[in-house]
Amino acid sequence: MSTIAVEALTKRYGTITAVDDLTFDLVPGRITGFLGPNGAGKSTTMRLLLGLAQPDSGRATINGRPYRELRDPLRQVGALLDPNVFHPGRSGRTALRIAARPARIPGQRVEEVLHLTGLGSAAHRRAGGYSQGMRQRLALAAALLGDPETLILDEPANGLDPEGVHWLRGLLRRLATEGRTIFVSSHLLAELAQTADDVVIINQGRLVAAGSIAGLLHHAGAASLEDLFLGATSPGAPATHPAFTQARSLS
Amino acid sequence: MRSLIAAELLKLRSTRSAWIPLGAALAAAVLAVIADTSAAGHGGNPPLSPAMLPDLLRGSGGQLVNGAVLLAWIVLSAGEFRHRTSVTTFLAEPNRLRVVSAKLAAAALTGVALGLLAEALSAATAAAVLSAHHVPLAWGQPGVLGAVVAVPLLATAYGVLGASLGLLLRNTAAAVGLALMWAFVIEGILPALIHEPGINRWLPEAAANAVLHGASPAALPVGVALTVLAGYAAVLAGAGAALTARREIPTTMG
Repeated sequence: MSTIAVEALTKRYGTITAVDDLTFDLVPGRITGFLGPNGAGKSTTMRLLLGLAQPDSGRATINGRPYRELRDPLRQVGALLDPNVFHPGRSGRTALRIAARPARIPGQRVEEVLHLTGLGSAAHRRAGGYSQGMRQRLALAAALLGDPETLILDEPANGLDPEGVHWLRGLLRRLATEGRTIFVSSHLLAELAQTADDVVIINQGRLVAAGSIAGLLHHAGAASLEDLFLGATSPGAPATHPAFTQARSLS
Repeated sequence: MRSLIAAELLKLRSTRSAWIPLGAALAAAVLAVIADTSAAGHGGNPPLSPAMLPDLLRGSGGQLVNGAVLLAWIVLSAGEFRHRTSVTTFLAEPNRLRVVSAKLAAAALTGVALGLLAEALSAATAAAVLSAHHVPLAWGQPGVLGAVVAVPLLATAYGVLGASLGLLLRNTAAAVGLALMWAFVIEGILPALIHEPGINRWLPEAAANAVLHGASPAALPVGVALTVLAGYAAVLAGAGAALTARREIPTTMG
């Protein structure tokens, strides 16, 4: 069963169609990269998945339900959409305790994720004094609070130093190996090529390719993920990349 | 719901900018009593007497406590959108009406707690000053119980008004500015602007004053004034809840 399912999802802002009849689904145990040029609709799709915005039509579900209908959502889904979602005057530890309280996640788990993300020694400091990389780690810690089966991460490597990127790659791989569904948007194609098993590529809100990276590269005759991405999203590319016809559904 | 309210109260405890008005109101609850008792017997003011006690207790209420709770909850609820902590809030509890209810409940609890604490500080200061001047303390006289009940009740309503205004405007400066403009300008000139001088007593500040100081020929009866104020709080809370349920939760990315 797919944990994340997007069906004919459409979202318009005035005359702009940010997400246009988008359909894909993801299965557990794999890392799926979510690719697209700036303004392609990646973040909007993630916001629709997480109930922060409402679609004009179509459905986005996690474990068969819209996010807003999930019971104890933090224990099912962890999300990182924006590293700057913490009050600058609160410590990292307090910020996580506030996030944990509605789900009745104990303080011990807060300490675990602080340690896991390397913020243990900085947990007492105000988040306003954190570097971008530390804020990113704090946002990751918040996503991991409920030990969720599904992770939705928007540009999680932003601001991380090389050691941090290496750490993140290992963490995501370990989580996927445990059977979790990892959905990661990124512009770092070389990094994603090392991390992800599958990709979903969108352009102007529409799906242009989806499938395993190996399968898509083979079908498109591309030498790298970058070649595949540029071929699928260049202005002259067909609306649906030919490779997509061979790999319509990730499941 | 209890865990949601606890999260909202933890936000209050960990937000220094929300503590400043609350701390100032508590300090003023003590200083107002000292100032009033110091002025007694001077400049035409009546001397210290047991009959002063209800006025001393009411002195900690009004704009001091009400304004403090209002500002604190504007800072907290609008600040959620300023600092985008609303993203983590609504990811943890996607049912927006439950989040709004928790905020309103926490704001009301803050009002009750601050009102009672201010009254306790005023009462302790008044008892110390009056006793030092050998003035008997008449706690059972009319007006004492009314003051002790009215101040927390008003602060509760103003907490709800503040949380609702913050949710409606989502902008701390705009919400604080509107609240100050209303209190110091709009409510004063509105009756003249609409050529309805009689409307004044139905407006929030006038209703709050009627609750605090009791009925007068120009004011609404206390019960009616309290109902009017609760009506304003309910309308603003309903509007805040309806808009929060419909609007998107903003993030910087995308």
